[in-house]
Amino acid sequence: MFDPNIPILVVDDMMTMRKIVAKTCKDMGFTQIQEAADGALAWEIISSAKPSIGLVISDWNMPNCTGIELLKRVRGDSRFKNLPFMLVTAETEKTQIVEAMKAGVTGYVLKPFTKETLQKQLEDAYKKIAG
Amino acid sequence: MKDYSKDTTFINSFVKGAIHTLKVQCGIDVVSNKPYILSPGEYSKMGFEIAGLIGITSNDFQGSIAICFPEKTFLAIMGKMLGDQFTEINKDLEDGAGELMNIVYGTAKSVLNDQGYTLQKALPSVIRGQKMSVRHAGTGTTLVLPFESDVGKFEIEIGVDFSQSKAAS
Repeated sequence: MFDPNIPILVVDDMMTMRKIVAKTCKDMGFTQIQEAADGALAWEIISSAKPSIGLVISDWNMPNCTGIELLKRVRGDSRFKNLPFMLVTAETEKTQIVEAMKAGVTGYVLKPFTKETLQKQLEDAYKKIAG
Repeated sequence: MKDYSKDTTFINSFVKGAIHTLKVQCGIDVVSNKPYILSPGEYSKMGFEIAGLIGITSNDFQGSIAICFPEKTFLAIMGKMLGDQFTEINKDLEDGAGELMNIVYGTAKSVLNDQGYTLQKALPSVIRGQKMSVRHAGTGTTLVLPFESDVGKFEIEIGVDFSQSKAAS
């Protein structure tokens, strides 16, 4: 599993969902949790955070800069090519999943979700990265 | 033009989406009651304090969908969702109505679009008031999907604006 001491970034324009994801991560043992209300704010944090963000959990459907736009921006910067990036969405249309995979998403969390589901998705994402 | 108020695939995807969302995200068992139609200019008599609203755009029609809660029901649902107790709807809490609408709509949209429907992605908004009803844009009827649970009743309303549809132009 991910090192619980890595800084993680939870991105969602809905405060209630940010709270749910952040609380679940805290319950899982993560100690450094930052939040952003859209992709543009998230990019500012990702591109300047010291120490670097080690995991991003982002909503897809947001104003200003969506989750997929943020993912593309992250993957377009050589510093963050391997940054674990989870997308959270209520939508499972095939075209959307293909777009996310092509953009280099690490994992996909489908809303609605339980704490156990989120935890399993993060564990699966870690296994994928660790090979 | 297709009458979505009689389209069981369309209706059931929202009914199932709401039941699934409340069960998984909030741990609340919900049952649906018989849907009914409101004529243009007619409003639900339940009286709501908060609603999450999404504008619907598709190739066939435009309209809006709202998940509407009395205050007591909403506070109980948010309490279950966030693992806390709430006595009033504050600024921090109100976007929960939009998030629930977002999840229900996204769930239904995925099912419907995989079957050839063309619902577009949209961002939710939240409206608040006292004993309010939702006035959907346009000229069509409003389909009401009533639900009840241990924490109270709520409704999903789907208003169709035929005047904006491609078929009407």
